[in-house]
Amino acid sequence: MSEKLPALNAVDDGRNIDPRLGALLGEAAQQTPLATKHDTELHAKTFGNVPSRQSWTSPTYYDHPMLHQPVWVWSIPAYFYVGGVAGVGAMLGAAAQLVAPEAMQSLVIRSRWVAMVGGAMSSALLIYDLGRPERFLHMLRVFRVRSPMNMGSWILTGFSSAAGAAAILPFGPRLFRPLANVCGVVAGVLGLGLSGYTGVLLSQTAVPLWHRSYKITPLLFLASGTAAAASFFEFFPLNEREASAVQRFGLVGKIVELAATLALEANAGRVERVGRPLKQGFSGFLWNGAKVLTIASALLSLLPGKSRPKRVAEGILGSAASACLRFGIYYAGKASARDPRASFEQQRASVAESASVDVA
Amino acid sequence: MANGFFTDTSLCIGCKACEVACKQWNQLPDDGYHFTGMSYDNTLHLGASTWRHVSFIERPVALNGQDAGAFSWLMSSDVCKHCARAGCLENCPTGAIIRTEFGSVYVQPDICNGCGYCVAGCPFGVIDRSPDDGRAWKCTLCYDRQKDGMHPACAKACPTESIKFGEVEELKRVAKDRVEKLHQQGVTEAYLYGEDARSQPGTAGLNAFFLLLDRPEVYNLPPDPEVPTLKGSKSWISAGLAAIGVTALAFVSVVLGNRSEKESS
Repeated sequence: MSEKLPALNAVDDGRNIDPRLGALLGEAAQQTPLATKHDTELHAKTFGNVPSRQSWTSPTYYDHPMLHQPVWVWSIPAYFYVGGVAGVGAMLGAAAQLVAPEAMQSLVIRSRWVAMVGGAMSSALLIYDLGRPERFLHMLRVFRVRSPMNMGSWILTGFSSAAGAAAILPFGPRLFRPLANVCGVVAGVLGLGLSGYTGVLLSQTAVPLWHRSYKITPLLFLASGTAAAASFFEFFPLNEREASAVQRFGLVGKIVELAATLALEANAGRVERVGRPLKQGFSGFLWNGAKVLTIASALLSLLPGKSRPKRVAEGILGSAASACLRFGIYYAGKASARDPRASFEQQRASVAESASVDVA
Repeated sequence: MANGFFTDTSLCIGCKACEVACKQWNQLPDDGYHFTGMSYDNTLHLGASTWRHVSFIERPVALNGQDAGAFSWLMSSDVCKHCARAGCLENCPTGAIIRTEFGSVYVQPDICNGCGYCVAGCPFGVIDRSPDDGRAWKCTLCYDRQKDGMHPACAKACPTESIKFGEVEELKRVAKDRVEKLHQQGVTEAYLYGEDARSQPGTAGLNAFFLLLDRPEVYNLPPDPEVPTLKGSKSWISAGLAAIGVTALAFVSVVLGNRSEKESS
C-alpha cells in the first residue's frame, strides 16, 4: 500500500477528498456515507441469475426492482390505525353531541378525549418517521392542494387543535361551553378528513397495488376507521343508549370494511402480480387475518346481549382487524413495489385496456 | 425554456465516465463496493448517492443491422427524468422540491425533512432517501453548473456524446433526426422514450428522454409511467363520498340508539 493512501483513508467519508486540499462544497457534500448501503441479500439473489440466459419472452432488468419501495417505518401504518380511531370517533361524538347531548354525555366527553389523545399520538408517530424530525413544521410552510401529505398535515393540525379545545374547554368558565361544542363539531368533520385522506395518500404513489386502488382505499380506510372507532368505544362503560349507537355504528362499519376489502382484492387481482402480496407472505397473512377478525367481530355483534365481556370481546376483535388491515395493506404495497413485473404488467394491461376502449 | 438531456443509448459504450463525473462533481460518497454478478453493473439502480447509473443488458437476440449472431449488448446511462409533471415534486409536502429556472426538478436540502413521500411518488424509482439522516436526494441536472453557464458534468464527460445536454426543444429535433438515421441504417428497433406529452401522457413528457433499442422494461424503465397525482381528484371525491356516508351513519346510529332505548323503557 502506498504511503499516501492511509492519510486519504483516514478521512474515510467515502469520497477520498483530503479536506486540506479540497473543499466539500458539492451538492451532495452533506451526505454522510454508511458502511453498507446495499441490501446484500438482494445481491446474493441477483448473483444467481445468469444474465444472458434470461428468458427473453418477457424480459426485465435482471428482475431487479424498478421502484424504490416506500421507506416509511412501522409508525405510519400505526398512525393509519390511531388516526382512524381518533378521527371517526370524533365524528360519532359530534353526532351524539348534536342529537342527544344529555343522554349520551359520557360518549361525547370520551370521544373528545380519544380524539385529543389520538391526535397527539398521530403527530408523534408521523414525526418519528421523519428523517429530520426537528423540521416537522416544514410541513406547514406551504399549502399545496396537490400533495395529499401536505393536506393531511393541515387536516391533522386543525383536528388536533379542535379536539384538544373541545376536551379542555369544558373545564373552564361556563362561557366556554358553546365554544367547546363548536370545536367538537369541527373536530368531527376534520376527523373524517383525517381518516379518509390516508387512503388518498397511499393511492397517490407509484406503488402498483396502492395506485391501482385509488378509488377504494379512501372508502376502505374510512370504513376501517369506523369499525376501529366503534371497537375502541366498546372498551368503555357506556349507558344502554350509547352502547346501542356504538354497536350499530360499528356493525355497519365492519360490513362495509369487509366489502371494501374484497373489492380492493378483486380489483388488484385483475393483474395477478399486483394482487399477489395480498395472498402470499406476511402481508397476505395480515390481510386475510383482518378479514377473519372482521367477520368474527361482526358475527359477535349480531348475537343478542350487551354484557360487558361480550362488548370487550367485540372491541378486541374489531380493533385487531383494523390494525391488521392497515399493516397488511402497507406491507403488501411494499412487496408490490419490490416486484418490477407488478408495475410492468399493470401498465401494459392498462395500455391494452385504453387501446380497446379507443377501438370500441 | 427548459434544459434537459437526450440520452442516445445506441451510442453508449458503458464506460461509466458519466457516473464518475457525477460522483466527483457533486462530491457524492461511494455506495459501498459490491459485486453483483449482473453483467458489468455493480451500481444496480439510481439512488440517493447514485445520480447516473449505467445499465448493461446482455441480450440473446441480435440487433438489426448487426452481424454478431444471436447476441447484442445494450448499454444505457439512466438519470432522473426531470418530468414535465414530476411525481416527487407534486407529492412533496414541504415545498422542498422545486422547478428551477432551467426547467429541472431540484430538491432543496435545507428544506427537506425526510418524509419519504417523494420516494413513493416517483414512477421511475429515481429519488431515494439517504440512510444517514433520511433526506431525499437525486440528480440536480447540475443546477450549480448551469447557474454558471456550464453543461452538467455527465454530459461534459461522455466520450461518445451518448449524453447530450441542451434545450429540450432542440434536443427533440436532434433525437428525431437520429432515429430516422438509425432506421435508414437498418436499426429499425430505435425509438424515443418519453420525448413528449403525446408519447408519454402520464408524465407530460420527460426533460431527460431516451433513445432505446428494446422495450422499456429491458432497461428497467416503466412502459407507461403515470404521475400518481394524476388520479388525485378522483381519489379525493371517493374520500368525500365515503365521509358523507360515515356522517350519515353516525347520525342514524345515534338517533336509533337514542330512540330504541326510549321505546324499551
